[in-house]
Amino acid sequence: MSEPTVASRVDDFVAAISQLQLHASGAQPFEIDGLESVVSVAPESLAQVQKCLTEAHSSALRVAAVGSGAHLQLGNIPEALDVALSTGRLHRIVAHEPADMTVTVEAGVRLADLQHALAEHGQFLPLDPPGADRATVGGILAANVSGPLRHRYGTARDWLLGTRVVHADGSTSKSGGRVVKNVSGYDMHKVYVGSLGTLAVITEVTFKLAPLPKVDCTLAIASPSAAAAQSIISAGHERGLAVIGAELLSPTAASAVCDRGAWTALLRIAGGGAAVARTLDELHDYAALAEGESAEVPGAWDRWRAVFGPADLSLRVSVAPSDAGSIAENLDRRFVGDAAQISATSTAGLVRINLAPADDARAPAIVDHVREIAVERGGVAIVDAAPLAVKQLIDVFGPPRSDIEIMRRLKQRLDPERLLSPGRFVGRI
Amino acid sequence: MADEPTPSYVAGEIPNGSVTAALIRDLEAAVGKRYVLSTPDELLLYEYDATIDRARPQIVVLPETAGQVAAAVRAARRFDMPVIPRGAGTGISGGALAATGGVVVALTRMRRIIEVDSENRIAIVEPGVVNLDLSKAVAKHGLYYAPDPSSQRACTIGGNVAENAGGPHTLAVGSTTNHVLGLELVLADGTVIWVGGRTRDLPGYDLAGAFVGSEGTLGIATKIAVRLMRMPESTRTLLAIFNRIDYASNAVSAIIAAGIVPSALEMMDRMIIHAVEQALHCGYPLDAEAVLLIEVDGLEESTAEQSEDIDRICRDSGAREVRLAVKQADRELLWAGRKSSLSALGRYFPNFYVLDGVVPRTRLVEVLRASNAVAEKYGLAVANVFHAGDGNLHPNLLFDERIPGTTVDVLQAGAEIMRLCVDAGGSITGEHGVGLEKRDFMAWLFDDADMAAMSSLKVAFAAGERFNPCKAFPTHRGCGEVSVANAQRVSARLGEDVYV
Ligand SMILES: Cc1cc2nc3c(=O)[nH]c(=O)nc-3n(C[C@H](O)[C@H](O)[C@H](O)COP(=O)(O)OP(=O)(O)OC[C@H]3O[C@@H](n4cnc5c(N)ncnc54)[C@H](O)[C@@H]3O)c2cc1C
Repeated sequence: MSEPTVASRVDDFVAAISQLQLHASGAQPFEIDGLESVVSVAPESLAQVQKCLTEAHSSALRVAAVGSGAHLQLGNIPEALDVALSTGRLHRIVAHEPADMTVTVEAGVRLADLQHALAEHGQFLPLDPPGADRATVGGILAANVSGPLRHRYGTARDWLLGTRVVHADGSTSKSGGRVVKNVSGYDMHKVYVGSLGTLAVITEVTFKLAPLPKVDCTLAIASPSAAAAQSIISAGHERGLAVIGAELLSPTAASAVCDRGAWTALLRIAGGGAAVARTLDELHDYAALAEGESAEVPGAWDRWRAVFGPADLSLRVSVAPSDAGSIAENLDRRFVGDAAQISATSTAGLVRINLAPADDARAPAIVDHVREIAVERGGVAIVDAAPLAVKQLIDVFGPPRSDIEIMRRLKQRLDPERLLSPGRFVGRI
Repeated sequence: MADEPTPSYVAGEIPNGSVTAALIRDLEAAVGKRYVLSTPDELLLYEYDATIDRARPQIVVLPETAGQVAAAVRAARRFDMPVIPRGAGTGISGGALAATGGVVVALTRMRRIIEVDSENRIAIVEPGVVNLDLSKAVAKHGLYYAPDPSSQRACTIGGNVAENAGGPHTLAVGSTTNHVLGLELVLADGTVIWVGGRTRDLPGYDLAGAFVGSEGTLGIATKIAVRLMRMPESTRTLLAIFNRIDYASNAVSAIIAAGIVPSALEMMDRMIIHAVEQALHCGYPLDAEAVLLIEVDGLEESTAEQSEDIDRICRDSGAREVRLAVKQADRELLWAGRKSSLSALGRYFPNFYVLDGVVPRTRLVEVLRASNAVAEKYGLAVANVFHAGDGNLHPNLLFDERIPGTTVDVLQAGAEIMRLCVDAGGSITGEHGVGLEKRDFMAWLFDDADMAAMSSLKVAFAAGERFNPCKAFPTHRGCGEVSVANAQRVSARLGEDVYV
């Protein structure tokens, strides 16, 4: 007897979940790297997510969890996509304990909505990745994306206290908890961060929160060189000034983000009034020393997030912080003809480069070239976005490292049938 | 999910003498004769950690390199003996005890600080480096290693990684997990790999994050890349004195609710105040019910503003007095009582049992009250000295084990207090680990499916039950009846100035 076709398995699946009434026939199909989901479902409770995954599992359908779709360009091309499971209707804030500075949310809550609710209590979740206006909390976690606030606050893992997930077979488990300090059990939630949905579907998340700074302003210091702009960022960092975001922008990036046509240190200065005042004073001094011109640029971060969303070709280089400035400069010099825009969270050793090559055919060579530069300094380069034809030729993560076998066994154990976004992750897991 | 692996060790199936002798020969070949211990005298020190429970390994090896660790692990595997990694043995959950016997791999000879990259604020260290020694070594660059367990003069970075250790100053900056970038590991088959690394955005699952806090069950850390922090330009310490413990608890929530996250926020109750005052005369009023020790650091301007706010909040919450210290020497004076609290207690009670529970900070008042009531019900004295800012309680049950029946009461009271923490939405451990002691409380927090998912890490790391069997998770068939810690004693080895 021949294997049932995908279409007939999808029919079985749709029939099996029909009593949930999730599958409105008009539901948007999702597309990942040219693959279109055959069916999309939008469950609104944990039990419904479980039911969907249980049925997808028994019909051997390949499932991709989708938040807002803000980060679907990440990862390698999946081998197959049958069901898109949207978390968009899992959008409750389950518990916010202002006096405890923790929040538990369903995965489909939009970060922007969450920030809005938290701000009423003078708190926030210090994450501000590109796409933050529409991205969901679960999507941000699964993609492990960060923004300028990383300079001061680190990444999602640093704020994560626990998760609930649904596994490929429809079973559910949790790890961590809702208190700010907890070492019971293995920290499974750490491996779900950045896993691009290849291990489980995240349904609920608990974070610790930070107090919103009382004063918050943004300074752009246009400087004669990358090194000069970087020296200002480094000085602020060394002095422990009240800087919560610090990006080194290439001239092209600076002109798009804050109307400067030079290497620019874009700084978010925040804290108590006196600390901010002193920080501004000192930064002006450092700016003068570096022959930079400083100006307050309100609204710059929204533009930054728009500019540094996915481009035709987007890469992320991770190196030692001390190398970030020179790598940014190097990349700018080499790829100026490809409309490169560069922004480095230099204190975290992260350099982002967005390009619009005139000819797609150049893209693989650019990727190789950037990767070479990163590897030379002991770092790595990851392709965050690329034209489909290019993605077909490369592994966006580059060659796996010595821990790949552990990752494969983890995948094998949690999703032995490889139903969750197969092929999308490192080493085509 | 795929099937459960079956544990390969069964308690009581300890290899016979000739097997042990052959293994000893292999281990001696790997690390040198001097560094393989197997006589009862030599093993004595390794039967303990800082609990008074004990378990004797057959063999202890003291390797000096990752290669030697790998060779020892391979040798133990050939003879199907479990391996128990061990740091300084300051753990308070029985983590380093050889629960089913086996080979203890003690990492205390691996204490090189391999590299300090001050510009990038990273250090690469061997696991046996003593926590405080790292901070001392990098102080000349104006840097320090933030997680500061109170045992930091003795405990090792490897042990900190395994337990995900915290400390008084991890409130604002997070526990060990927030400060580890990467690890070199020896796995169960003796392979040596890195998870994570010195750069931050390495592609792949966060295996370093998963390893931290795994209590020696997944592998042996042989190198650790840690993040260092810059010393703040200014630090201010406040001591707030309260007539009612409820007032102090309320002040803790009020400080957090006001959006201030101090670098440390510690509480001591009446029992501790009395003990340290008699031992040290550090100026705590004997009629006070609680003191808070609060520290803020950062820019001069911020600490000035925050310490004023904290002063006001404490007074508003009912503090009868708030003292402020800015100069290092004065600050140390305020900390003196906190730091000597356990040794002071030790003068009055032969034994104490340190609990480690967590509750939401908003529930401190009621849980403290209920936990004291539990102690009272059993007729036990209790002293509380703990990381109040993150809701991490450390009730110390004070007793004399020579009085028959007391130990049983202490254990029972301890379990009840843990249960209170869980019922308040908290956890059975904030920093000391589950170890042997709290395995059976895990089911209060996690169901079978939760623990099955966690066990996938044992499969991923291909650890099976080779490393530190019978720890951190509820007893499975193979573990038999390991005698659970019946009481704890801060060991004299740690010196006078230990504090929890
Ligand atoms: C007085 C006192 C105060 C304390 N205060 C605190 C505190 O404030 N905060 C806190 O968190 N803890 C505290 N502790 C507990 C203890 O010091 C910590 O758990 C510490 O991290 C243990 O380190 P160690 O080197 O002694 O490890 P050990 O006790 O030797 O071992 C602990 C665990 O780590 C594993 N292990 C050790 N080295 C490695 C390695 N290289 N690779 C893999 N696994 C390894 C062992 O198998 C074991 O499971 C205190 C203890 C005492 C006695």
